[in-house]
Amino acid sequence: MAGKVLEVKDLVVEFRTDRGTVKAVNGVNFDVFKGKTVGIVGESGSGKSVTALAIMGLIPNPPGRIANGKIFFNGKSLVDMPASEMRKIRGNKIAMIFQEPMTSLNPVFTIGNQIEEVIELHQPHLSRSQRTAKAIDMLRLVGIPSPDKRVNEYPHQLSGGMRQRVMIAIALSCEPDVLIADEPTTALDVTIQAQILELMKKLQKELGMGIILITHDLGVVAETCDTVAVMYCGQIVESADVDTLFNHPAHPYTKGLMDSIPSFDSTSGHKKERLQTIEGMVPSLFDLPNGCNFQDRCSKVTDACRGINGDPVLKPSKGEGHYVACYNPLN
Amino acid sequence: MNLYAYIFRRLLYIIPVLLGVCLIIFVLFNLVAPDPAYTLLGKHATIKQIADLHHELGMDKSYFLQYVDTVKTAFTFDFGYSWTSKQNIWEMIKAGAGPSLAVTGPLFVFANIIAISLALLVAFYRGKLIDKFVLILSIAGMSIPSLAIVLFGQYVFAYKLGLFEISGYEFGFPNFVPYVILPILIYIVISFGADTRFYRTVILDEAYQDYVRTARSKGLSELKVMFKHVLKNSMIPILTNIIIQIPGLILGLLFAENFFSIPGLGAMTINAINNSDFPVIKAMTIMSAVGFIIFGVITDVLYTVVDPRMKLK
Amino acid sequence: MSTEIKQSKSLLHNALLRIVSEKISLTALIIVGIYFTVAILTSAGFLAGNWGKEIGSSYMAPSSVSYFGTDIFGRSVLLKTVKATETAVVIGIVVSVISIVIGTILGMIAGYFGGFIDEIIVWFYTTFSSIPNIMLLVAIAFILGKGTTTVFLSLGLTSWVGLCRIIRAEVMKHKEREYIHAANAIGATHSRKLWKHILPNISHLLIINFTQTFDSAIKAEVVLSFLGLGVVGRPSWGTMIDDSKLELARGVWWQLASATLAMFLIVLAFNILGDALRDALDPKLKGK
Repeated sequence: MAGKVLEVKDLVVEFRTDRGTVKAVNGVNFDVFKGKTVGIVGESGSGKSVTALAIMGLIPNPPGRIANGKIFFNGKSLVDMPASEMRKIRGNKIAMIFQEPMTSLNPVFTIGNQIEEVIELHQPHLSRSQRTAKAIDMLRLVGIPSPDKRVNEYPHQLSGGMRQRVMIAIALSCEPDVLIADEPTTALDVTIQAQILELMKKLQKELGMGIILITHDLGVVAETCDTVAVMYCGQIVESADVDTLFNHPAHPYTKGLMDSIPSFDSTSGHKKERLQTIEGMVPSLFDLPNGCNFQDRCSKVTDACRGINGDPVLKPSKGEGHYVACYNPLN
Repeated sequence: MNLYAYIFRRLLYIIPVLLGVCLIIFVLFNLVAPDPAYTLLGKHATIKQIADLHHELGMDKSYFLQYVDTVKTAFTFDFGYSWTSKQNIWEMIKAGAGPSLAVTGPLFVFANIIAISLALLVAFYRGKLIDKFVLILSIAGMSIPSLAIVLFGQYVFAYKLGLFEISGYEFGFPNFVPYVILPILIYIVISFGADTRFYRTVILDEAYQDYVRTARSKGLSELKVMFKHVLKNSMIPILTNIIIQIPGLILGLLFAENFFSIPGLGAMTINAINNSDFPVIKAMTIMSAVGFIIFGVITDVLYTVVDPRMKLK
Repeated sequence: MSTEIKQSKSLLHNALLRIVSEKISLTALIIVGIYFTVAILTSAGFLAGNWGKEIGSSYMAPSSVSYFGTDIFGRSVLLKTVKATETAVVIGIVVSVISIVIGTILGMIAGYFGGFIDEIIVWFYTTFSSIPNIMLLVAIAFILGKGTTTVFLSLGLTSWVGLCRIIRAEVMKHKEREYIHAANAIGATHSRKLWKHILPNISHLLIINFTQTFDSAIKAEVVLSFLGLGVVGRPSWGTMIDDSKLELARGVWWQLASATLAMFLIVLAFNILGDALRDALDPKLKGK
């Protein structure tokens, strides 16, 4: 298909712990297209970060490993790729930024050094001065003022928002086809959050890369994503384009997430109602129920959901590109 | 507060610490210690002899003045004379420093190189068999009393197998070399466990930091990640740990010098203990404390210079 | 990647369970238990009561008569080793208690009250730690002279600084935590906040430190014995090892071997336990 950059098929990631082997990611499928943003939403522990690390080939082994599934990048399979080849793609064609800008940069090297490092690694033909020039360009691109001075500064001299911009600069230095952003704004102030998201959207337009945006914040999803996948207990329970997901959620979990956002909008009828929550707690991955993982918290649970039919599979729902894994979907 | 202000403050802090150290030493040697009169003069000392001795030793001065004397010696290093050999203690120290350093100097270099290299190796292969093996060896090494290792080492390798000199010392390089090899080897074994574990912990602490994940995500090889990113950050605590060992070098190794008859400061200390030679012990305590304080400052200042986070605060 | 861990049991309880479940740390725990039991039995007189008795000629090699041979006085090395276990355990416990009490109290006061009191305490332990440990140990022991009290005091007074620093840092962190603000809001006194609230949260550090101090006390006792400043009137592994320096030239190795082995096992066991406890109790420790 035109513009498809990344394809994740039936991905399963296992971790060996002293309490047994657990599947942090259990059968995940999604595609990433050029110039489009895929949002992966879920609570902590839903497997979203692990999915990202799996794509990057950064699952720590031991104790984790990709147990099953395939990941195709521009047609090439990443899962069984030899490490040396994967290193040529990592940071170069597929780049990642992380949640904690305060600690993600090495404190003893300058900003410039850390940007130049990735340029030197993947574009060795450039001379030292060319690299520095490019680093300064990248800093300018991500909106850092006086980049020629900043290039010689150390991370601790920058604020959280600035550091995250530097991370983006590092990630984009080699013009990747895919950018994975794991909760890039969670650790930042709301105003900075908006700036960073704006920046990412702008850069996406300019560079045409596909973005995987991982977050637990539906507001962020609404603003920046084109398609969304909702994850629960290591599985995708619903995926759709952003409008459909917000207006016609099919999975009770998704609806629960939407409903739990407090709203000041009097027209939506939530004026003086209590905050809605999803009852119960996310089950431990060591102790998943038979059948649908959401059954103990679902308001629309039926007998079909419990037991013999196994985990519900993603099936097409109403509307194009809308899939839901549910025995009793809302539509 | 910028760098120079910090260094100045740090240097200033030496004074209260030094005064405090002298206070502790004063309390120990002048207040708590029993009257040496009978040990020095014998059981039948007359009152006059005791009074004369007290005067000679400065013990008839007020406590405050005695304390001041202690502080003075910390600056002048004029420790007086040994009760047993009547030698000038400072001269004794100068004479003994050489042999002590002949052992502790090379030991310092080799032990640290070995420990750091092993720690790096083991951090790189963490979780694998070699990591576990080295860890077990380290913990076992830390659990055997050092005296036992010295005795065993000397007995087996020098006495029984005759590979090394049993004891003795010759001044001057390279004459002393054959005499110090075995003690050095023995102490490398003794300190290997604790050193390696410490460095391993330091390196692993860095290895699990977020910036290492970032480095990997750039596509860097594991080797580069370890040697460029982790090592540079680890160097800061490693270096501070190494530097603080330096003042201790001059004290020499108590067991080694005794068993291998090396005429260093460790042997001097042991002799002083056996002979109840107060001034010598007091002198060694003061001198080592001063050395410690000075190198403590050097370490702190070095820290601020090496770690960019400390440069401008 | 994170999984839910039900914290219905206390951290300590969890830690113990973990330790028991792993073979190595369980073995270590058992060894410690055995040694402490032997020490108790010995001090009550049930074991090695007649350690001073001559059972054979001088320097008999290990045989069916005496499994570990005899020392210069013909006494059983085995019985001496057992009696010395009691000595070691007593030293380990007393020294650890002294050092933990001093270190914790000073650390808590310094960390909690801050300001001038903190400065004084920091100055105090800085001066203490400015004298190299060996030197201070030697100096204190030298001044106090031979004897068991000397061993207790000299070892105790030289081991508290490390813990004090750690406790002070932890208390300073805890002072700012929400639960202290909450305690403040309901009008808790300083003493209550310190003892009832903060102390339980740092108690794991005390336990870990106990295992470390116990070990270093036993090892340091060997140094003191070597200098002639060790325990008097009862065998200790330190004096046995020290005695053996004269024996080795005669080919008498069994006293050295026996004492070293006995000491090695308990020190190793506490080492392993200390590690296991640290892994289990210190939530900040990453990746093993």
